[in-house]
Amino acid sequence: MNMEIFDFLKEMACKHGPSGHEYEVAEWFKSKFEPLCDSVTVDRLFNVIAYKKATIPTRDGSPAPKVMLAAHQDEIALMVADILEDGTLRMGTVGGVDPRILPASTVTVHAREAEGGYQKLLGVVGALPPHLQSEADSQRNYQFTELYVDLGLPAEKVKALVQIGDLITLNGPATRLLNDRCASKTMDDRACVGVLLEAAERLQTMGHKCDIYFVATSQEEVGSGGATTAAYAIDPDLGVALDVSHATLPSSRPDTTIPLDAPAVTIGPYVQYKLVNRMRETAKKHGIKLNTETASRRTYTDTDSMQIARCGVPMVLIDVPLKYMHTSVELLDMNVIRESGRLLAHFLNEIDEGWDSELWI
Amino acid sequence: MDLKTICELPGISGREEPVRKAIYTECVVKLGEENVMIDRAGNVIAHKAGKKADAPRVMIAAHMDEVGLMVVSAAEDGLLRVCAIGGVDPRVLVSKRVKVGYGENQIDGVIGAMAIHQQTAEDRKHVLPISQLYVDIGAKDKAEAEAKAPMGTPIVFDTPYTEFGENKVLVKALDDRVACYNMLRLLDCDANCDTWFAFTSQEEVGCRGSEAAAFRINPDIGIALEGTSANDTGNLPECQQVCAQGKGVAISFMDKATIAQPEMFREMIALAQEKGIPHQVKMAVAGGNDSGPMQRAHTGAKTCVLSVPCRYIHSPSTICDLYDVEAQYQLVKAFLEK
Repeated sequence: MNMEIFDFLKEMACKHGPSGHEYEVAEWFKSKFEPLCDSVTVDRLFNVIAYKKATIPTRDGSPAPKVMLAAHQDEIALMVADILEDGTLRMGTVGGVDPRILPASTVTVHAREAEGGYQKLLGVVGALPPHLQSEADSQRNYQFTELYVDLGLPAEKVKALVQIGDLITLNGPATRLLNDRCASKTMDDRACVGVLLEAAERLQTMGHKCDIYFVATSQEEVGSGGATTAAYAIDPDLGVALDVSHATLPSSRPDTTIPLDAPAVTIGPYVQYKLVNRMRETAKKHGIKLNTETASRRTYTDTDSMQIARCGVPMVLIDVPLKYMHTSVELLDMNVIRESGRLLAHFLNEIDEGWDSELWI
Repeated sequence: MDLKTICELPGISGREEPVRKAIYTECVVKLGEENVMIDRAGNVIAHKAGKKADAPRVMIAAHMDEVGLMVVSAAEDGLLRVCAIGGVDPRVLVSKRVKVGYGENQIDGVIGAMAIHQQTAEDRKHVLPISQLYVDIGAKDKAEAEAKAPMGTPIVFDTPYTEFGENKVLVKALDDRVACYNMLRLLDCDANCDTWFAFTSQEEVGCRGSEAAAFRINPDIGIALEGTSANDTGNLPECQQVCAQGKGVAISFMDKATIAQPEMFREMIALAQEKGIPHQVKMAVAGGNDSGPMQRAHTGAKTCVLSVPCRYIHSPSTICDLYDVEAQYQLVKAFLEK
């Protein structure tokens, strides 16, 4: 990437894009892909589709294989469910938000304006204080019904500005930690869009025989709506999805997590085993550490809908390890973004006219 | 010193040195070195002599320390185990940013917990106690974590000063830096009484500093300046609110430390009314503070507590209303100048 990875993460963390409302972040990603690709469009669902035409012709003159790469740009969020008499706001969820992370968190309320714009209001999540709770109640976590957003405004001003359904996003600026690690909101999954940008930049000099569609998808957190329509539009010959996966924590079961310091590839029925092996061979050839993990059924990523788009798409799923998923301190190793980008670039560089000759037998 | 600077300084109980240094420096500039001391309990005591020889000795106290965390040990994987310094509800810690250590060696950290996807239904109910939470500084292993943040390293919340809403300020540590800020402003007032300004240490772990300061000063009158809990949000019935923001300085009739001396209590209300200073009576008997040690030092003192209502106290995100901050300053100023 032209930018330092940290600068990229810092900027992406300030862009708001809850599922179904990715317009702001989509425009930003469009501007990032434009210098690296032949054309970039934002479709009706706010998918950003960046097309990079093959730079090396196939030997036999056959059409260039079409590869779709998907990483989602949407984020989990909240929405205004009710405006209370005193002007504080009750919240509903957009995607899987853990209420445990909310007390004393800062959030941004996106108040819809009549002329179509949005006013961003800072809020703090409050809760019933412990001294007003019974001993037993203070031993359990707060429920959504006990939490509220405080905008620091008089009730009448809140009622004039805010409407039910307005979106609320978490605040979580990128924080640089030791050992090239970084914590931020929305690493899931914009860090993987960063991997796509890293790969696109490397391919500028490496060249490729395939036509590449880099897609920053929408609505993954609520069921991969964006990947479904983008895969229909592109009709790819093969696909690679990139998403985050749980990194090892002291309390986690070892078989459900991957180490923080390297990307992984998923093995299971929803991905194509020979393409997975191809990815692993590419990694080995170029000295890139690549771990493996398994998914016995759904992968809970864009892979699941892409695999059965149109007449079917053989898939590979790359996993970027992440600690504290779905919080405002999602933590990863920035070197994994670089290495995943390098892996993806080599994988695309090596897709040629014979890529599918022994795919199914 | 402005409110932003004083709130953003780190200083958990027992480790108030960054705050102490800044306050001591400003006191010396304003009152001269001969009138300022740091005592053996870590308090900064600034003295402004009364205009008459028989003027009463008034002690005003605001505490420098804030609640936070402290490193207990490092785990094999480089995560830091911590304990709470002062009263911290573990429910406000998950998914927050912190600053580990002070000064040049300060590093960033985050408090994470297992992702929602991996929690069992049982996990979701139970509060993670501080003993099961940890601070992640990105260290690769135990040795690196111990080198960067050895046992005992202080940790504070990382919430920068932000003005928002209507007249509101969001920042860490308003309890009790908001009162330290006002007390520094009061150093300039034209006091009639013999005034002793005590910037105390270790209030959050049992009002330790003010014990020593009150013993030294031996006041006739003691006034504790606090940032106290305002439970005025979330549609709570009025009877459950402690005090409300935007209604002025909160005057306590009683809390867990003292019963306000009735004359003092009446006098403060009368003075606020006379001067047109916005004020309210703190409605709950909750919280203890430096008024306790002041009331019971030597042969005793008349005390009262004047507070700025703060929302979400003892959490990373405390909020005050600048209108109330000014009211606290004006009322104490009016009292001292009377």
